[in-house]
Amino acid sequence: MTIRNTLRDHGQRYRPRMACLKKAEKLMLEMQDPKTGVKSQPQRLVITTIPHAITGEDIIAWLADRFQVDAQEARSFGSTLVALGYIYPLRDHKRLVIKPDASLYRFQTPYFWPTQQWPVEDTDYAIYLAKRNIRKKGILELHEQEQYNRLHKWMNHKWDFIVMQAKEQYRAAKERKKPDRVVFECQERAYWVVHRPPPGTVSAMDYGLDRRIDPNTEEVKTPDYYERIMIFTQQSIMRPRVKSSVSIGALVKYCATYRSHDPFLSNCLPSNPWLTDDVTYWTLNMPNVEIPTKMRVERWTFSFGELLSDPRGRNDFRLFLKKEFSGENLAFWESCEDLKWGTAATMREKAEQIYKTFLARGAPRWINIDGKTMEVTVKGLKHPHRYVLDAAQTHIYMLMKKDSYGRYMKSPVFKDTLQKAMSPEEHKFSDSQLEQNAKKRRPSLSPIVLRQQEQEQKAKMAANVDITQLCRFTTPVPHLAVYSGISDFPSANASPSLPFLAQTPVCPSPISVALDSTSASDRRVEASEGEGEGNPAAPATVGGNASKSRVALSLRRLLRRGCTPTTMFASLSPKCHSAAGTSSRIQPISPDQPSQAPPRRIANFFQIKVDIPPECRIYPIESEDEDEETRAASRGGVGAKEIICPWESLSPQNGTG
Amino acid sequence: MPLVNNKVGNDGTVGTDKALADGKALVDSLMKVVACYRHLASCVGGCTDSLQLRDELRQTREKAQKLAEAICHHLTSHLRDKSLPKEQRKEMELLWVAFSSSLELLHVDMCKVFNVADIFSLANSHTLVQTGLQGGGSEVAARALSLPDLNQTPSQTLPASLESQEHSTMEQEISQIDHMIDDMEMKVNVLRWMVEPHGPQYADPLSSTDSTSLAMLSVDEEQPEQQSLCQRKHIFVLLLLFCVVLLAATLSVSIVLFS
Repeated sequence: MTIRNTLRDHGQRYRPRMACLKKAEKLMLEMQDPKTGVKSQPQRLVITTIPHAITGEDIIAWLADRFQVDAQEARSFGSTLVALGYIYPLRDHKRLVIKPDASLYRFQTPYFWPTQQWPVEDTDYAIYLAKRNIRKKGILELHEQEQYNRLHKWMNHKWDFIVMQAKEQYRAAKERKKPDRVVFECQERAYWVVHRPPPGTVSAMDYGLDRRIDPNTEEVKTPDYYERIMIFTQQSIMRPRVKSSVSIGALVKYCATYRSHDPFLSNCLPSNPWLTDDVTYWTLNMPNVEIPTKMRVERWTFSFGELLSDPRGRNDFRLFLKKEFSGENLAFWESCEDLKWGTAATMREKAEQIYKTFLARGAPRWINIDGKTMEVTVKGLKHPHRYVLDAAQTHIYMLMKKDSYGRYMKSPVFKDTLQKAMSPEEHKFSDSQLEQNAKKRRPSLSPIVLRQQEQEQKAKMAANVDITQLCRFTTPVPHLAVYSGISDFPSANASPSLPFLAQTPVCPSPISVALDSTSASDRRVEASEGEGEGNPAAPATVGGNASKSRVALSLRRLLRRGCTPTTMFASLSPKCHSAAGTSSRIQPISPDQPSQAPPRRIANFFQIKVDIPPECRIYPIESEDEDEETRAASRGGVGAKEIICPWESLSPQNGTG
Repeated sequence: MPLVNNKVGNDGTVGTDKALADGKALVDSLMKVVACYRHLASCVGGCTDSLQLRDELRQTREKAQKLAEAICHHLTSHLRDKSLPKEQRKEMELLWVAFSSSLELLHVDMCKVFNVADIFSLANSHTLVQTGLQGGGSEVAARALSLPDLNQTPSQTLPASLESQEHSTMEQEISQIDHMIDDMEMKVNVLRWMVEPHGPQYADPLSSTDSTSLAMLSVDEEQPEQQSLCQRKHIFVLLLLFCVVLLAATLSVSIVLFS
């Protein structure tokens, strides 16, 4: 609305601080000195002469002399002054650069100097455009026309005022003498070239996003302010210090490594989009593109962190680990990241899930961390917070870095990717093509859309889970629910009614199904009365039956919904015969126990302690041909050994679980 | 837009119509003054900056403030009047929008002049920016103050106290305008997005010889290459005409000879 409603306006409207403006102003004052400043000459026009025109070479010479720099540096400095709007060119006014020849420039009047305090108003721009139009209709350029129409739409209520003010300003200008009028018009035009640059012009006032707070306001010196300063200085003192030789060496190494990858320091293929407005470079380097560019693949070889931070690299690495059957490390690492960066509300469930999937004894995707770390982690999980899994995550990260990363670099997966990587040709644009590109500039996809796409992809990946880590002692979570590692959990607190699965349109993550079934069962428990305390006496049989039925129920539901890819993958994987076998085994049993309500079983769910004998480590399944019936019974018993979360065991059991 | 005569039709018109016309006239003159102030403000700090200019600025400012206060009272009293008929209210709201926008422009200009005067003191005139201007703003000021001619006695010396005095008065005036704008927002609730303007999207081009010559000046300045091209085109056309004329002449001569 206006510049004045600072109280009611909570938006971002302040320009980031531009400290260069004050310095440039001082310099401008120095340049005006008749003796030591820049020499000026009159500009000859057809009808009149106008004084105070300066040549480009004079400016550059003066700057070089004043700052004792070479001509190239003085030239870029001069171009900055022009780009900021302190000096404007008289010919070729759209290119805000200084040419080191006799082309003429003039100083801008202080009224039109760029300021930090007052943002450039659209109202003024509208008045300026209207004024130009008064002179001769149709004189506005295409981008100005577009802007004019846009302003007309958004400031419609003021339009009478704008038109009238434009007329008044025009009439007032007519009162002035002709050369002054010409000068004023040039000044105004230069001002608007800087602050509303036409496509293809690079002005230094093009700055990006606005800030929320005004950088010019003096901060009030309250006790809080001083406390903040004290804390800051204390922390600065306590910061670990590094020898400058070491830090400089690191900087040099970094620059040397990444120099060829920087779009501005070296050639950017096919063309630098910031300079040519051509977005091919960005489309070729999208996060999940099929064929990465050679430069991108080269970056993966720099360090393990680079590989992981690039989504395409991570996918490649995941593929490699899948072939090596050590995918759980990466999955665990990703789930830890998810925990760290996720919302606070979901943290507890996520921590539980991670424990059940990766850390507990008998977990489906057990990761191999040393005893001490495991102890620390499990202890911390009693009161889960964002960084509770940091120790374990670091351990796994170092493991992957030292072990898998090296093998990945030598693996056929990587070599294949490297071979397929493409290197685009450089594309040189002609001037007219550059203008075309500038006109076609459009904003990129909205972040909301991008986030939606990300969610969809995560859901898709969660559906195709990696289930290579089962063993005979792992809990027969029915659909081989394993943490796919990427999910953003659909909240497990869906509606409690049984046909909850019908509500989620996407094939839900198996975890969520498990959780839902648990919660559903819980509610059934609450609904039923007179069950009393679950008697731990007969957990095994009841538990076994109930678990199987529960498993069967959810599995049946799952199969009904057609979510068979997991089981399909299970059957395909050579090491999961038992898994397939489990499902096949369970299915015939299920009709026998159609309506076993497993309420009490759930009450015991979190109480049954698992005592896996030490010799029963987690081994990949050897073979399938053991007598399956005996297995079924014993498995039922083993199946009763659900994974206990250590903190759950501490909480007292209440009747409804 | 021609200035509406304040004394138009004092009898036989409805009170609010007259009020509307009055308001319109006041707002028009305020807009004129604000436009002139902007032109004057653009000279501050440049080589034509002088005591005279500052004086003119001060006078223009004072006039603008007087007008602003008058309009404020006028419009506030009418818009708070609940019994105003609908079309009148719409017109009043239009005037209100124009008034508040003019005030905002004036406020910004005043702040800028204040800042620039801070940087450039008239005492050391060698730091004044060489902007290429030659004349002062006297004619513009005359237009603003609606005087045919502005006779100023230029005072040569500049006592330092005068500058600081001006400084403080400017500050006061700026804060006054501030308060006025705030008050306006508080007292009258005008829904800006409901206001519909009458006028056209594009201002009508004012045709006069002056404007075309001005256009030529700037065309001269920026596009010398295009000029040569135009010349070439002219020569080509002339040549073509000449050839046609020649052809016609030879044909007629041949007809005459052979008939």
